[in-house]
Amino acid sequence: MDVIATVVGNYPRPEWFREYLRKVEGLQKDLDVEVERDALKKAIAEVIDEQKRAGIELYTDGQLIWHDFLLTIASRLEGFEMNGLVRYFDNNLYYRIPIVKDKVRRKRKILYDFEIAFEIEKNIKAVLSCYTVAKLSRNEFYSKFEDFLWDICEAVKEEIKELEVMGVKYVQIDEPALLYAEKSELEVLKDVYRELTNTKMETILMTYFDSAERIFPEVLDFGFDVIGLDFVEGYEENLKIVEEYDFEAINLGLIDGRNTKMESLEELKGKFEEITSKGNFKRVYISPNTGLEFLPSIKAFEKMQLVAKLREVVA
Amino acid sequence: MKTTVVGSYPKPKWLLRMIKLHREGKVDDKVMDEAYKDAVKAVVKDHEIAGVDIIWDGEMRREEMTSYFAERIEGFKIYGEVRVWGNAYYPKPSIVGELRYKEELAINDFLYLRSVTDKEIKVPITGAYTIVDWSFNEYYPSKDEAVYALAEVLNKEFRELVKVGAKYIQIDEPAIPTHPEEIEIAKNAVEIMVKGVNAYIGMHMCYGDYRAIFPDILDFKVDQIDFEFANRNFEDLAILKEFDYDKDLGFGCIDVHSKRVESVEDVKKAIYMALEIVEPDQLYIDPDCGLKLLPRNIAFEKLKVMVQATNEVRRELGIAE
Repeated sequence: MDVIATVVGNYPRPEWFREYLRKVEGLQKDLDVEVERDALKKAIAEVIDEQKRAGIELYTDGQLIWHDFLLTIASRLEGFEMNGLVRYFDNNLYYRIPIVKDKVRRKRKILYDFEIAFEIEKNIKAVLSCYTVAKLSRNEFYSKFEDFLWDICEAVKEEIKELEVMGVKYVQIDEPALLYAEKSELEVLKDVYRELTNTKMETILMTYFDSAERIFPEVLDFGFDVIGLDFVEGYEENLKIVEEYDFEAINLGLIDGRNTKMESLEELKGKFEEITSKGNFKRVYISPNTGLEFLPSIKAFEKMQLVAKLREVVA
Repeated sequence: MKTTVVGSYPKPKWLLRMIKLHREGKVDDKVMDEAYKDAVKAVVKDHEIAGVDIIWDGEMRREEMTSYFAERIEGFKIYGEVRVWGNAYYPKPSIVGELRYKEELAINDFLYLRSVTDKEIKVPITGAYTIVDWSFNEYYPSKDEAVYALAEVLNKEFRELVKVGAKYIQIDEPAIPTHPEEIEIAKNAVEIMVKGVNAYIGMHMCYGDYRAIFPDILDFKVDQIDFEFANRNFEDLAILKEFDYDKDLGFGCIDVHSKRVESVEDVKKAIYMALEIVEPDQLYIDPDCGLKLLPRNIAFEKLKVMVQATNEVRRELGIAE
C-alpha cells in the first residue's frame, strides 16, 4: 500500500500577496482584475515551497486568486455574471453567486493560474469542479438543469484535454455539492463524470463538508481513479462505506482543515489504521478534509506538517 | 418613539492616522488614549447636532466586532486572519481554554461617554452565539457548551454595566439568522446573558433570512429586536405582520450599504409602515446597521434625515419631540 501526503486545494495567501490584491482589486464586488503574472507566480511559488517544507508530496497551487472558491470556475466561463454574496456551505465564508444569463462556453483557459504553477512544479494536481458549479449557481437561462450541467461538463472536459496535452498527471474534481445530489440525478451524473474521467491523467474525486453514503454505490461507476472522503465530518458513515465497497485508491480527509485545534498523532494513526484495515487499498492519499484557507496561515502550515508526520508514522 | 443608532460610526480620518502611528510605535499609549477620547467627543457632537435620542460612542476603539471582545476574555487566542470573501479578512479567534471573565469590555467606554453627554446611552456588545460562531473551538466538546460559557462571561459584564449606571444594553447577534437550525442555542444563551440584568435589553440582527427564525425569535428574552429593513426595501415587515410581532421594534430604516442619502419623505413613509405593526412608544428608529463603512459626512446627513423624518411624524401624530 502506497501512502502519499497531499492537500485538498486552497491555501492562505502570502501576507504580501494579500496586501497586493487588496491594492489592485479593492474590497468591493468587482474583483477579477488582471493580476500581474509575476506577482502571481511569486505567490504560487511560495505556497508550493511551503508545502514542500512541510513534507507534502503531491501539491496544489493554493488557488490563490479563487475569490469565490469553486465558483471561481464560473467566473472564468462565458455565460455567467457574478452577483450578490451567498454563504459557502456551512462556513462563515461568502462567494458571489454566479448567474447563468447565456449559454455556457469556455472561451479561454479556466486554470490560467494552474498553468503558472505547472511551470514551477510538475508534481501537482489541477483542481476543477462541475456539478457543484452548476448547483450553486442561479440558472436564469437554461430550461433544463441537465442542459446547463452538460454545458459546464463540456467546458471542463475541454480544460481537462488541454491539461493532458500540457503533460499534467493529476486532475482533482472537487464536488462538495454532490453529497446532496438526488438519487435520481446520479444516473445522469454517471454519464457526465464518465466524460470527465476519460483521460490518461489520474482522476481524483474530492468530497468534503459531509459524509458520502448517499452517492454510493453509484459513484463507483463514475470512472474516478481515487475517491476522496471527509473523515472529519463523516467518520462513522464513511468508515461503513470503506467496509462495504471495494475501491483501489482513496483520499482520506483525516485532519480538520476548519479548526485550529491540532489533532494528536496517535489519534490520527488510530483512525488511519482503522480505515485502511477495513478496505483493500493499493494507494492511499492522506490530507486535511478541506482546503486550508479556512485557517490562519500559521495553523495551515502546522496542519500540513501533521499530514506529513502521519504519513511518516503509518508508511 | 425614539431615534437611536446601532453602534459604529465612521472614525475621523485623523484618528485612523493616529491608530496607524500608534501601531508603528510612533505615538505612545497616553497620546493614543487622548485621541480616542477626543474622537468620542467629536462623534457625540455629530449625534447631538443630528438630534439622535439614544447614542453610543461610535465604537472608536473597536476595530471589529469579534476579536475586540475575544482579546479581552480569558480562553481566546488569535493566531491570525482568515478570509471571509473576496479580499476581506478578519482575525478569527480560537477558543483554547475555559472562557472566563478577565477584564471589562465596555464599562470604561460607557463611563467616559456618560461623562461627556447627557443623552440616553445604549451599550452594544456582540452576543455569545455570534462570537462563538465566528471563532474556532479547540476546547469545548460542543458548540453549545462554548456558547453558554461565553454567555456567562457576558452576563457578568452586563451586571457590572448596570451597576455603573447602564440602562440599555444591545446584544449584537448577526450570526443567528445564518443558522436557524441552532436558534435554540442562541435563545438559551440570551437567557444566560440577561439573567439578573436589570436593564432594557435589545438584540440587533442584520443579514440573513428573517423568515427562517420566525416565530422562534419572538420567544427570546429581550425587550426589543432590531432588524435591518431598508436593505431589502422593507419587504421583511410582512414577516413581522404575519407572526403578530409584539416586542418593541428596532426599526432599521436607513441603508448603510448605499451612499445615497434617503429623502425625509421616504423615511417618513417607512416609519408609518412600522407604525402599522407596533405602537409609537414601542418604536426605536435607527439605521440598518453600524454606519462605519460610510464616509463621515454621509453618515451624518443620514442621521439628520432620520431624525427630521421622525420629528415630522411625531408632529403629525401629536407626540412630543
